[in-house]
Amino acid sequence: MIEAALQFQPTEARTFLQEVAARSGQNLAACYQCRRCAAGCAVGDETGFVTPNRLIRMVMLGDRDQALSNELVWRCVSCYTCGERCPNDIQTARITETLKKMAKEEHVPALQPKVAHFHDAFLESGVRWGRVNEMEFMGAYEMKNAFLEARRFRFGAIMSEIRQQMRLGLAMLRLKRMHMGFLKSGGRAEIQALRRKSQAARAAR
Amino acid sequence: MQLAYYPGCSLKQSSALYDVQSRRVFAELGVTLQEIEDWNCCGATSAGKVDDFLAVAMAARNIGIAENSGFAEMVIPCSACYSRTLVAQQRLADDPALQQAVNGELRRPVRGGLKVTSILEALVERVTAGAVAQQAVLKFRDLHPVCYYGCMLTRFPYRVTVSDSVENPHGMETILEAIGVRAIDWNYKTACCGASAAVNDPQTAMNLMGRIFQDAVARGANCFVASCPMCQMNLDAHQETFAAALGLPQRLPVYFITEVLGAAMGIPPEELQTDRHFIDGTDLLKELEPHEHDAD
Repeated sequence: MIEAALQFQPTEARTFLQEVAARSGQNLAACYQCRRCAAGCAVGDETGFVTPNRLIRMVMLGDRDQALSNELVWRCVSCYTCGERCPNDIQTARITETLKKMAKEEHVPALQPKVAHFHDAFLESGVRWGRVNEMEFMGAYEMKNAFLEARRFRFGAIMSEIRQQMRLGLAMLRLKRMHMGFLKSGGRAEIQALRRKSQAARAAR
Repeated sequence: MQLAYYPGCSLKQSSALYDVQSRRVFAELGVTLQEIEDWNCCGATSAGKVDDFLAVAMAARNIGIAENSGFAEMVIPCSACYSRTLVAQQRLADDPALQQAVNGELRRPVRGGLKVTSILEALVERVTAGAVAQQAVLKFRDLHPVCYYGCMLTRFPYRVTVSDSVENPHGMETILEAIGVRAIDWNYKTACCGASAAVNDPQTAMNLMGRIFQDAVARGANCFVASCPMCQMNLDAHQETFAAALGLPQRLPVYFITEVLGAAMGIPPEELQTDRHFIDGTDLLKELEPHEHDAD
């Protein structure tokens, strides 16, 4: 995997770095590659080559394609250990969060589609009802997954996902940890107005 | 005494037992947790990954409600809600333009000044005042817990004032000490359980939880104590899976700090709804004896 070394894109580097820095609120240029972040990364076993410091280098080199689609961006669990230990106060988890948003806006397919589906479904439920309804949002999440798998003709994956969720659901039902009522907040109109404001600001940019 | 209380969505659904326990335990300590009216979802971690403005704005509405209802302090049991709300408050204070943009859509705008506290901070304050030890009428015979804090009580995506030690928090140990329980020291108290990865990237989450579990077992713990509903649910609901994958026969109940505290206060287990765990922990919580308070 190492042969796919970082690519320097001189025309892109400056603007890409500035964009990621501004949106994440992190001063990426302060990174001196000490790798304390890499040493503490909770998902280091899963992400392989792309450690937090290498992600920063990727952005600085302007390697946009790799930066938007790599294991670290899509497997980061936002535990914030990297940022807590960074001697230069760079919260790399904010950078992975920013790159996820940029990937979505630029229609770059998510490397871990289920991760994107989860967070989208969660926030949609929260904005739609004012409160997140666990069953409704999990249903919406699984629909997004099933739709993608069906387009790839992977019906076995859909069935195994349903079986797995059924098992957990039944256990929760037995322990009375499944909520049958429906949560709503009258404040959802305000939340939806705030979302329109956010979308308008993004469109203006 | 009355404090504003933000339960959040999880405490109204899959972790309803934590809501019941929190209110009950604080009532014993002479504190009424007053749920703020018409609260909304805080956005949790997902908001930070989908929409930065909403990540602040959703939590801001709840802060505005608490402030405009005349509260000076709001207690939040869920770590994700606590983190999101604390960060939103700090970002609004640091960025007047952002505060203006958010307040523009809010019926009850944020003015600033509300104290946002985690349930552990609020409990530790009562430990210091001596109220917790005073209410502890029973003592556990055989409870050897490890305290599990997870990520969101001490590590934040934005610079805020952290209420406990970042790498070695001890709020829960302090609370347990007040009821005569000595928690076991271990290495994974602030490790990550994977949170939503348990749903959307199970292999990653099972690896993370497996490591946490292995250390707890190696130290001789017979239960976990947690304060985050997501950590609690993950370690509890998936324990069969990750413990079996490691070939470990032990199963450790995952308690909320409030049910351990509640049991020591003499609240019956049925009232604390301790039978709603995946890994059964009712027996361990019943092994109690009268607390011999030091003569003072």
